[in-house]
Amino acid sequence: METIDARDLACPEPVIRTKKALENSKDGKLTVIVNSTEANENVQRFAKNQGCSVKAAEKNGVFTLEINKTGQAPEICQAKAVVMLIASDQLGVGDEALGQLLIAAFINTLPEAKTRPMKMLFINRGVLLTTEGSRVLDSLQKLESNGVQIFSCGTCLNHYQLKEKLKVGKVTNMYDTVDSLLNADNVIRI
Amino acid sequence: MKYGVILFNTTTSVMQAEKILLKADFVIKLIPTPREFSADCGISIRFDLDRNAQIKALLEKEKANYEAIHPLVVNGV
Repeated sequence: METIDARDLACPEPVIRTKKALENSKDGKLTVIVNSTEANENVQRFAKNQGCSVKAAEKNGVFTLEINKTGQAPEICQAKAVVMLIASDQLGVGDEALGQLLIAAFINTLPEAKTRPMKMLFINRGVLLTTEGSRVLDSLQKLESNGVQIFSCGTCLNHYQLKEKLKVGKVTNMYDTVDSLLNADNVIRI
Repeated sequence: MKYGVILFNTTTSVMQAEKILLKADFVIKLIPTPREFSADCGISIRFDLDRNAQIKALLEKEKANYEAIHPLVVNGV
Protein backbone atom coordinates (compact mmCIF):
# COMPACT_ATOMS: atom_id res chain seq x y z
CA MET A 1 0.00 0.00 0.00
CA GLU A 2 1.38 3.37 -0.97
CA THR A 3 1.78 6.39 1.29
CA ILE A 4 1.67 9.91 -0.11
CA ASP A 5 3.21 12.65 2.00
CA ALA A 6 1.39 15.74 0.78
CA ARG A 7 2.26 17.96 3.71
CA ASP A 8 2.94 21.60 2.91
CA LEU A 9 1.88 21.17 -0.71
CA ALA A 10 -0.29 23.93 -2.14
CA CYS A 11 -3.76 23.20 -3.45
CA PRO A 12 -4.49 21.39 -5.79
CA GLU A 13 -1.30 19.32 -5.47
CA PRO A 14 -2.54 16.97 -2.68
CA VAL A 15 -5.59 15.98 -4.72
CA ILE A 16 -3.54 15.60 -7.90
CA ARG A 17 -1.08 13.27 -6.14
CA THR A 18 -3.94 11.30 -4.59
CA LYS A 19 -5.56 10.94 -7.97
CA LYS A 20 -2.40 9.71 -9.70
CA ALA A 21 -1.67 7.28 -6.87
CA LEU A 22 -5.19 5.87 -7.01
CA GLU A 23 -4.90 5.37 -10.76
CA ASN A 24 -1.65 3.47 -10.40
CA SER A 25 -2.64 1.59 -7.28
CA LYS A 26 -2.85 -2.18 -7.66
CA ASP A 27 -4.67 -2.87 -4.43
CA GLY A 28 -6.81 0.26 -4.33
CA LYS A 29 -5.42 1.20 -0.92
CA LEU A 30 -3.62 4.43 -0.21
CA THR A 31 -2.53 6.54 2.75
CA VAL A 32 -2.33 10.30 2.30
CA ILE A 33 -0.78 12.64 4.85
CA VAL A 34 -1.65 16.35 4.82
CA ASN A 35 -1.31 19.13 7.32
CA SER A 36 -3.99 21.66 6.40
CA THR A 37 -7.74 21.61 6.94
CA GLU A 38 -8.26 22.59 3.34
CA ALA A 39 -6.11 19.76 1.97
CA ASN A 40 -7.82 17.33 4.35
CA GLU A 41 -11.26 18.38 3.12
CA ASN A 42 -10.25 18.43 -0.55
CA VAL A 43 -8.59 15.00 -0.52
CA GLN A 44 -11.44 13.42 1.45
CA ARG A 45 -14.02 14.90 -0.85
CA PHE A 46 -12.12 13.78 -3.94
CA ALA A 47 -11.72 10.23 -2.61
CA LYS A 48 -15.38 9.92 -1.67
CA ASN A 49 -16.35 11.32 -5.05
CA GLN A 50 -14.39 8.47 -6.65
CA GLY A 51 -16.30 5.92 -4.58
CA CYS A 52 -13.57 5.33 -1.99
CA SER A 53 -13.97 4.94 1.74
CA VAL A 54 -11.90 7.25 3.91
CA LYS A 55 -10.67 6.70 7.45
CA ALA A 56 -9.25 9.89 8.89
CA ALA A 57 -7.06 10.44 11.94
CA GLU A 58 -5.73 13.78 13.11
CA LYS A 59 -2.92 14.59 15.51
CA ASN A 60 -1.34 18.00 16.06
CA GLY A 61 -2.65 19.37 12.81
CA VAL A 62 -1.45 16.42 10.74
CA PHE A 63 -4.20 14.42 9.03
CA THR A 64 -3.60 10.81 8.07
CA LEU A 65 -6.17 9.60 5.56
CA GLU A 66 -6.58 5.91 4.79
CA ILE A 67 -8.26 5.64 1.43
CA ASN A 68 -9.75 2.42 0.16
CA LYS A 69 -11.38 1.90 -3.21
CA THR A 70 -14.12 -0.30 -1.85
CA GLY A 71 -15.35 -3.30 -3.73
CA GLN A 72 -12.52 -3.36 -6.26
CA ALA A 73 -9.58 -4.75 -4.36
CA PRO A 74 -7.13 -6.10 -6.97
CA GLU A 75 -8.20 -3.88 -9.86
CA ILE A 76 -6.65 -0.62 -10.99
CA CYS A 77 -8.84 2.32 -10.03
CA GLN A 78 -10.08 4.61 -12.71
CA ALA A 79 -10.14 8.08 -11.29
CA LYS A 80 -11.17 10.50 -14.02
CA ALA A 81 -10.82 14.18 -13.34
CA VAL A 82 -13.48 15.98 -15.36
CA VAL A 83 -13.29 19.74 -15.23
CA MET A 84 -16.07 21.94 -16.52
CA LEU A 85 -15.12 25.43 -17.62
CA ILE A 86 -18.10 27.78 -17.72
CA ALA A 87 -17.08 30.97 -19.42
CA SER A 88 -20.42 32.67 -19.79
CA ASP A 89 -23.86 32.98 -18.26
CA GLN A 90 -25.19 31.73 -21.60
CA LEU A 91 -24.99 28.42 -23.40
CA GLY A 92 -24.11 29.03 -27.01
CA VAL A 93 -23.88 32.27 -28.92
CA GLY A 94 -26.98 34.01 -30.11
CA ASP A 95 -30.04 35.41 -28.44
CA GLU A 96 -29.00 36.32 -24.91
CA ALA A 97 -32.23 35.30 -23.19
CA LEU A 98 -32.21 31.93 -24.94
CA GLY A 99 -28.60 31.35 -23.93
CA GLN A 100 -29.46 32.09 -20.31
CA LEU A 101 -32.42 29.72 -20.42
CA LEU A 102 -30.30 26.97 -21.91
CA ILE A 103 -27.52 27.20 -19.37
CA ALA A 104 -30.07 27.19 -16.55
CA ALA A 105 -31.66 24.01 -17.86
CA PHE A 106 -28.21 22.51 -18.37
CA ILE A 107 -26.98 23.23 -14.84
CA ASN A 108 -30.29 22.15 -13.34
CA THR A 109 -29.89 18.76 -15.02
CA LEU A 110 -26.38 18.12 -13.69
CA PRO A 111 -27.34 17.10 -10.12
CA GLU A 112 -29.34 14.18 -11.45
CA ALA A 113 -26.75 12.98 -13.94
CA LYS A 114 -25.03 9.65 -13.28
CA THR A 115 -21.55 11.15 -13.28
CA ARG A 116 -20.31 14.40 -11.87
CA PRO A 117 -17.55 16.75 -12.85
CA MET A 118 -14.73 17.00 -10.32
CA LYS A 119 -14.61 20.77 -10.68
CA MET A 120 -16.66 23.55 -12.18
CA LEU A 121 -14.73 26.73 -12.95
CA PHE A 122 -16.71 29.89 -13.61
CA ILE A 123 -15.02 32.74 -15.45
CA ASN A 124 -16.03 36.00 -17.06
CA ARG A 125 -19.83 36.15 -17.24
CA GLY A 126 -19.95 32.67 -15.75
CA VAL A 127 -19.62 34.27 -12.32
CA LEU A 128 -23.14 35.62 -12.72
CA LEU A 129 -24.23 32.02 -12.12
CA THR A 130 -22.52 31.62 -8.76
CA THR A 131 -23.56 34.94 -7.28
CA GLU A 132 -26.65 36.56 -5.85
CA GLY A 133 -29.47 36.70 -8.39
CA SER A 134 -28.49 33.51 -10.20
CA ARG A 135 -31.29 31.16 -11.20
CA VAL A 136 -29.17 28.09 -10.58
CA LEU A 137 -27.84 28.55 -7.06
CA ASP A 138 -29.64 25.61 -5.51
CA SER A 139 -28.48 23.23 -8.24
CA LEU A 140 -24.91 24.41 -7.75
CA GLN A 141 -25.21 24.09 -4.00
CA LYS A 142 -26.53 20.56 -4.42
CA LEU A 143 -23.59 19.68 -6.67
CA GLU A 144 -21.21 21.16 -4.14
CA SER A 145 -22.69 19.11 -1.31
CA ASN A 146 -22.18 16.04 -3.51
CA GLY A 147 -18.47 16.71 -3.78
CA VAL A 148 -18.16 18.90 -6.86
CA GLN A 149 -15.64 21.70 -6.34
CA ILE A 150 -17.00 25.03 -7.49
CA PHE A 151 -14.71 27.96 -8.19
CA SER A 152 -15.32 31.48 -9.44
CA CYS A 153 -12.58 33.67 -10.89
CA GLY A 154 -11.63 36.44 -8.46
CA THR A 155 -10.71 38.89 -11.20
CA CYS A 156 -14.10 38.42 -12.82
CA LEU A 157 -15.97 38.78 -9.53
CA ASN A 158 -14.17 42.05 -8.96
CA HIS A 159 -14.77 43.28 -12.48
CA TYR A 160 -18.51 42.66 -12.27
CA GLN A 161 -18.53 43.99 -8.70
CA LEU A 162 -19.83 40.70 -7.33
CA LYS A 163 -17.07 39.89 -4.84
CA GLU A 164 -19.38 40.26 -1.86
CA LYS A 165 -22.19 38.43 -3.62
CA LEU A 166 -20.63 35.01 -4.14
CA LYS A 167 -23.17 32.45 -3.02
CA VAL A 168 -21.63 29.11 -3.82
CA GLY A 169 -18.10 27.71 -3.97
CA LYS A 170 -14.81 29.48 -3.55
CA VAL A 171 -12.76 32.18 -5.25
CA THR A 172 -9.93 31.02 -7.48
CA ASN A 173 -7.13 32.58 -9.46
CA MET A 174 -5.44 32.03 -12.82
CA TYR A 175 -2.68 29.80 -11.42
CA ASP A 176 -5.20 27.34 -10.03
CA THR A 177 -7.33 27.62 -13.15
CA VAL A 178 -4.36 26.78 -15.39
CA ASP A 179 -3.36 23.90 -13.09
CA SER A 180 -6.89 22.51 -13.05
CA LEU A 181 -7.21 22.63 -16.81
CA LEU A 182 -3.78 21.14 -17.54
CA ASN A 183 -4.18 18.31 -15.03
CA ALA A 184 -7.69 17.36 -16.00
CA ASP A 185 -8.41 14.12 -17.82
CA ASN A 186 -11.24 15.80 -19.63
CA VAL A 187 -12.23 19.44 -19.96
CA ILE A 188 -15.76 20.43 -20.90
CA ARG A 189 -15.88 24.03 -22.04
CA ILE A 190 -19.32 25.57 -21.81
CA MET B 1 -41.34 15.94 -3.01
CA LYS B 2 -44.00 15.86 -5.70
CA TYR B 3 -43.56 18.11 -8.70
CA GLY B 4 -45.62 19.42 -11.55
CA VAL B 5 -44.35 20.64 -14.89
CA ILE B 6 -45.54 23.40 -17.20
CA LEU B 7 -45.06 22.72 -20.90
CA PHE B 8 -44.67 25.48 -23.48
CA ASN B 9 -44.67 26.01 -27.21
CA THR B 10 -41.99 28.68 -27.42
CA THR B 11 -38.99 29.83 -25.41
CA THR B 12 -40.52 33.30 -25.23
CA SER B 13 -43.51 31.91 -23.35
CA VAL B 14 -41.15 30.12 -20.94
CA MET B 15 -39.40 33.40 -20.16
CA GLN B 16 -42.70 35.21 -19.79
CA ALA B 17 -44.13 32.61 -17.40
CA GLU B 18 -40.90 32.46 -15.42
CA LYS B 19 -41.02 36.20 -14.85
CA ILE B 20 -44.64 36.06 -13.69
CA LEU B 21 -44.05 33.14 -11.32
CA LEU B 22 -40.82 34.48 -9.83
CA LYS B 23 -42.43 37.85 -9.21
CA ALA B 24 -45.09 36.06 -7.19
CA ASP B 25 -42.34 34.25 -5.25
CA PHE B 26 -43.12 30.74 -6.43
CA VAL B 27 -40.26 28.27 -6.15
CA ILE B 28 -39.63 27.06 -9.69
CA LYS B 29 -36.87 25.50 -11.71
CA LEU B 30 -36.06 25.62 -15.43
CA ILE B 31 -35.55 22.07 -16.62
CA PRO B 32 -35.28 20.26 -19.94
CA THR B 33 -38.72 19.02 -20.97
CA PRO B 34 -38.97 15.52 -19.45
CA ARG B 35 -38.80 12.75 -22.04
CA GLU B 36 -42.27 11.45 -21.31
CA PHE B 37 -43.84 14.67 -22.56
CA SER B 38 -43.84 16.07 -26.03
CA ALA B 39 -43.87 19.82 -26.32
CA ASP B 40 -42.65 22.21 -28.94
CA CYS B 41 -40.31 23.86 -26.50
CA GLY B 42 -37.47 21.84 -24.98
CA ILE B 43 -37.47 23.83 -21.76
CA SER B 44 -40.18 23.48 -19.14
CA ILE B 45 -40.83 24.89 -15.70
CA ARG B 46 -40.94 22.55 -12.72
CA PHE B 47 -42.87 23.54 -9.60
CA ASP B 48 -43.99 22.01 -6.28
CA LEU B 49 -47.18 20.12 -6.99
CA ASP B 50 -48.96 21.46 -3.92
CA ARG B 51 -48.88 24.89 -5.59
CA ASN B 52 -50.68 23.56 -8.66
CA ALA B 53 -53.95 25.44 -8.16
CA GLN B 54 -52.31 28.78 -7.32
CA ILE B 55 -49.91 28.62 -10.22
CA LYS B 56 -52.62 27.72 -12.68
CA ALA B 57 -54.76 30.59 -11.41
CA LEU B 58 -51.94 33.11 -11.68
CA LEU B 59 -50.99 32.06 -15.20
CA GLU B 60 -54.60 32.34 -16.33
CA LYS B 61 -54.96 35.73 -14.66
CA GLU B 62 -51.83 37.05 -16.39
CA LYS B 63 -52.90 35.46 -19.68
CA ALA B 64 -49.61 33.61 -19.89
CA ASN B 65 -49.07 31.34 -22.86
CA TYR B 66 -48.46 27.74 -21.94
CA GLU B 67 -49.37 24.46 -23.51
CA ALA B 68 -50.16 22.22 -20.57
CA ILE B 69 -49.58 21.54 -16.90
CA HIS B 70 -48.95 17.98 -15.75
CA PRO B 71 -47.84 16.24 -12.59
CA LEU B 72 -44.33 14.86 -12.88
CA VAL B 73 -44.17 11.15 -12.24
CA VAL B 74 -40.77 9.94 -11.04
CA ASN B 75 -40.10 6.18 -10.96
CA GLY B 76 -43.77 5.37 -11.11
CA VAL B 77 -44.66 7.53 -8.12
